[in-house]
Amino acid sequence: MIIPLVQNETLKILRRKRFAVVAAILFAIIALVTYSQYRRLREQRNRNWRAEIQQQVASMQNTLRRGRINETWARSMRAEINRLQFYLDHDIEPNKPTAPIFVRTFANVAGFLLLPLLVGILGSDIVSAENAEGTDKLLLTRPVRRWKVLTAKLITLWTFATLTLITGAVLAYSVSAPFLPRGGWTAPTFTGFSVARGALQIDAVRQLPLWKDTLIAYGLEWFALLTVACIALLLSVLFKSSAAAIGTMLASLIGGTILTRISPDWTAGKYLFVSALPLADYYTGEPPPYDGMSMLFCIGLLGAWAIVATAISFVVFTRRDVFG
Amino acid sequence: MTPTQPTLTATNLTKIIGDKTIVENVSFELQQGEIFGFLGPNGAGKTTTIRMLVGLIRPTAGRVTICGFDQRRQFEDAMRCVGCIVENPDLYRFMTGRENLEHFARMLRVSRSEIERVAELVSLAHRLDQRVGTYSLGMRQRLGIAQALLGDPKLLILDEPANGLDPAGIREIRELLRRLASERQMSIFISSHLLAEIELTCDRVAIIHKGRILREGTVRELISSRREMELRVDDVARASAIATEHNLPFRTDTDRIWIAMEEPDAPPFIAALVQSGVNVFHAQRRTQSLEDMFLEATGGETVD
Repeated sequence: MIIPLVQNETLKILRRKRFAVVAAILFAIIALVTYSQYRRLREQRNRNWRAEIQQQVASMQNTLRRGRINETWARSMRAEINRLQFYLDHDIEPNKPTAPIFVRTFANVAGFLLLPLLVGILGSDIVSAENAEGTDKLLLTRPVRRWKVLTAKLITLWTFATLTLITGAVLAYSVSAPFLPRGGWTAPTFTGFSVARGALQIDAVRQLPLWKDTLIAYGLEWFALLTVACIALLLSVLFKSSAAAIGTMLASLIGGTILTRISPDWTAGKYLFVSALPLADYYTGEPPPYDGMSMLFCIGLLGAWAIVATAISFVVFTRRDVFG
Repeated sequence: MTPTQPTLTATNLTKIIGDKTIVENVSFELQQGEIFGFLGPNGAGKTTTIRMLVGLIRPTAGRVTICGFDQRRQFEDAMRCVGCIVENPDLYRFMTGRENLEHFARMLRVSRSEIERVAELVSLAHRLDQRVGTYSLGMRQRLGIAQALLGDPKLLILDEPANGLDPAGIREIRELLRRLASERQMSIFISSHLLAEIELTCDRVAIIHKGRILREGTVRELISSRREMELRVDDVARASAIATEHNLPFRTDTDRIWIAMEEPDAPPFIAALVQSGVNVFHAQRRTQSLEDMFLEATGGETVD
């Protein structure tokens, strides 16, 4: 019984051209980044990557010595220095632009803001638009219980969140492949760097082929996007106007990100869903903004947010009075 | 369903929001094949009542039974018997008429042939593949009715169905509704603030004002009896005397007299006037306005 409802919701998202907009945004951004990578590749040809990285390390060490930056920045900078040092020690050229690395990097770069924003755009009006356009009066007076209607909307939203991620990955590869080296899926990658007491912990570093590493990063990102979809659904249920729902979604994503950067002392911030959102970053080795945020903590936190948001959505949606 | 079971029963429906009573103790019944008019000024509680009938609003007290199913506890069974338009015929403007009908047909699990049938009924087949955003209000009203007719429901609930239709369209829809009631034994609930519309379409009517039902009865009892004849005459005094002789209630101004009477009584009365030398310049039937009726029913309280 739920399948025809999912079919309806899918048709509505497609006819509203929401997904077309999302794909267009992804294409534009990926094309732009590809171009910059392509330029870098051309310049890099006659460059000595070792010298470049050594210079990066030196410049960061200088900044640290001057000591005018706050502790969070300093901490992540020290971690970055240690990471780069690791590449120097093992003679591995990092970030050499290839199409597979571009796809892998996309998970991190787009994962913490762009993809959640796009899923937010898709999801924020899935209920509120019906309310704003008055179509909920028909939708909810058909012989289908309200929880089924909302379940269909959630399933559809999860489907489109998944499609957004897949579209991003496919576009990242297909747009960059004509310009960057295409191969290298089996190149070794190093993940699992972590920082404890200011020192780089390399015991946990694992070497994985790039394709496996990419799959893990996308898997984590996928989980984060499903959570964002649940939160977008909640906002869409709570707000009558689509604009208010989308606005709140954007504000909480951007505001939360800013908050975690400027007030690292306010430790309660680690319970915000935004703090746990860049799962792919943390997996790669970027230190989370607050202490005590292990990967397991982040996944658990996101799961809790998803469950609570979904529960509130269902309770409110099935019980409320629908006025004009 | 037994023939005597009402299609729709509303029992003591009440909706209180905060300390404001929007609808108070509203009860009525709809029999099979009956067209029921729900008449009241804007803001009387018509739409709130309709929203309670179709489950959009939870009543503070009272219950709704549709085709014998409790609308709260057996929502899906109850709603399978209902087609409705609540307030405006709001459909998905970014989809075509056909896509809209397919959308609701999927929810009802009825076949695609239903779509052709209902589109034919409301004369919309030729515009079905255009986006609803390009439709006029009248066409959206037709599409709304088509959507309500999907799955051949036993009960049709229409909120102000005449809205946005031109006079020809209103007549066409009225005839369709009458046909559905008589041929398919459909029960039809229509709300309106237009007395004339209700009078022409409905069998029975309830008048709602400030959330309460003031009167309920057949159209004849409630509306037709409230008609009067307006005559312009040269001698109002003598005309009044003749009306008194005929035992007819009346009121006058300088050159007109309004007499409460049924249509068949008009020719003998006018003949009597002419015989006693009163010149009649103008004679016209006039329906007492809804406002007059409310003034009377509420004892002088104005309609707001």
